[in-house]
Amino acid sequence: MPRKKAGGEPEPDHAKALAGFGRYAGPATLILASLADGAKHGYALTKDIESFAGVRLAPGTLYEALARLQAQGLIEPVESQDRRRPYRLTAVGAVTLQAHLDAQRRVADIGLRRLAGNWGLT
Amino acid sequence: MNAPDTAAPDPAAPDPAAPDPAAPDPAAPDPIAQRAARLLRWYPKAWRSRYGEEFTELLICDIDERPRSRSRTADVIRGGIVARLADAGLCGCAPGAAAQVRASLASLTCCAAVFLGFGDAMWSQLTIGWQWSEPDSAATTVATVVMSGAMGVFAVLALLAALPVACSVVSRMARGGPRGLLGPAALFLAGLAVVVVGGRHFGNGWPGTGGHPWAGQGLVPGGVAAFSWASTLSVSSFWAHPAALAAFPAAELAWMALSPLAAACVVAGAAAAVRRTELPPGVLRFEVRLGIAACVTMAVFLGGCSAWITSRPPGPGNLFHPGAIDVAGAVVMAAALAVAQRAARQARAGGRRPRRPYAARPTGTI
Repeated sequence: MPRKKAGGEPEPDHAKALAGFGRYAGPATLILASLADGAKHGYALTKDIESFAGVRLAPGTLYEALARLQAQGLIEPVESQDRRRPYRLTAVGAVTLQAHLDAQRRVADIGLRRLAGNWGLT
Repeated sequence: MNAPDTAAPDPAAPDPAAPDPAAPDPAAPDPIAQRAARLLRWYPKAWRSRYGEEFTELLICDIDERPRSRSRTADVIRGGIVARLADAGLCGCAPGAAAQVRASLASLTCCAAVFLGFGDAMWSQLTIGWQWSEPDSAATTVATVVMSGAMGVFAVLALLAALPVACSVVSRMARGGPRGLLGPAALFLAGLAVVVVGGRHFGNGWPGTGGHPWAGQGLVPGGVAAFSWASTLSVSSFWAHPAALAAFPAAELAWMALSPLAAACVVAGAAAAVRRTELPPGVLRFEVRLGIAACVTMAVFLGGCSAWITSRPPGPGNLFHPGAIDVAGAVVMAAALAVAQRAARQARAGGRRPRRPYAARPTGTI
């Protein structure tokens, strides 16, 4: 259930914000994580994501995810004279990314703990 | 005798002023840019105008780095199709809720038109058969009554849906509003005029509309049945039998070719008007409810139609015998209904969304 704010308006659940992206949740997380380092245009995003995640986002997938993130207000374009328009993270996008990564980390911690306890893997 | 200071030019030596044939021609178009431009064409115009430049730059860099990549081509094609479906209001995110609702309603209009084109052809066959004799099975009788009731509901829904859009278009044009509405309105009216005049002309010429014992017993007035038959004359299995088709009068053949084009003009004009007319939110929600009601009516009509086809009345001389064209028509109608339901769901989702959940918050950067 979404928490209620003082005014009675439901507060958005940032941890679940990316769940609505369906098959684009993965690319969206990678894009937000890349933009957490600063504004980047499409090709710079592709190279940065490839360097830290080992995944190369194809152009069509990248721009579908960018369009959805922008529509949700999680990223925004930066004014540029160049044909390559950079994007940057918004404050809401940063909070959403943090909530999403926290949730992922909890899952990873539990999985690793169970692997260590039952399988002896560290 | 001394040799001259300057030797005569050797005709075999290359002219230093001539362009190097191995060097690229600066005026020639860049093949990588051309490939990127070709890939960009998979996306709809609105998407291209928003993302076209930056997406092309990304494609150029990607092609430069990986000259041959089938996965990239497949990904761009898939992305383009998804963007086109989103542009038609059939999936994903659109620029804004109202624009998405209007796009979905326009798609729903097109689907309903396709459904009605084939449905009307079947219904007119049954109602014209009823002009001549009583249906020979309970299933056909029930199916004809159900389909006739659904047709009546369709007429009411179409009128209710068209009135607010027509009023809005007329008032905007009267105030010198967006010029983009003039074309769709003209297309719609021209197509409608051709359908009505041609349908009336060929319907009046049909001998089954009166003068025989059962003419007054039909489920619907003979003129309505004949008009429906004439306006959907092109939905015919005769297209698969060119020899039989050649025996048709030239005027009838011309009408069979012209009437689908006129109907397409009506639908294209209506859909464009729906997309371009900015309706108040309340009216838009009303239109969405009408669209959902139209989907329910289509499902009822298809149920009646399926009951008639699966009951297999005796034939083929029987007036109520369903043919291959009716089975094919039912398949097309089912597909149109599926897409229409998808459009109605998208329209309802867009209409319900009062505001973007996150965009209303302050969006500073970090």
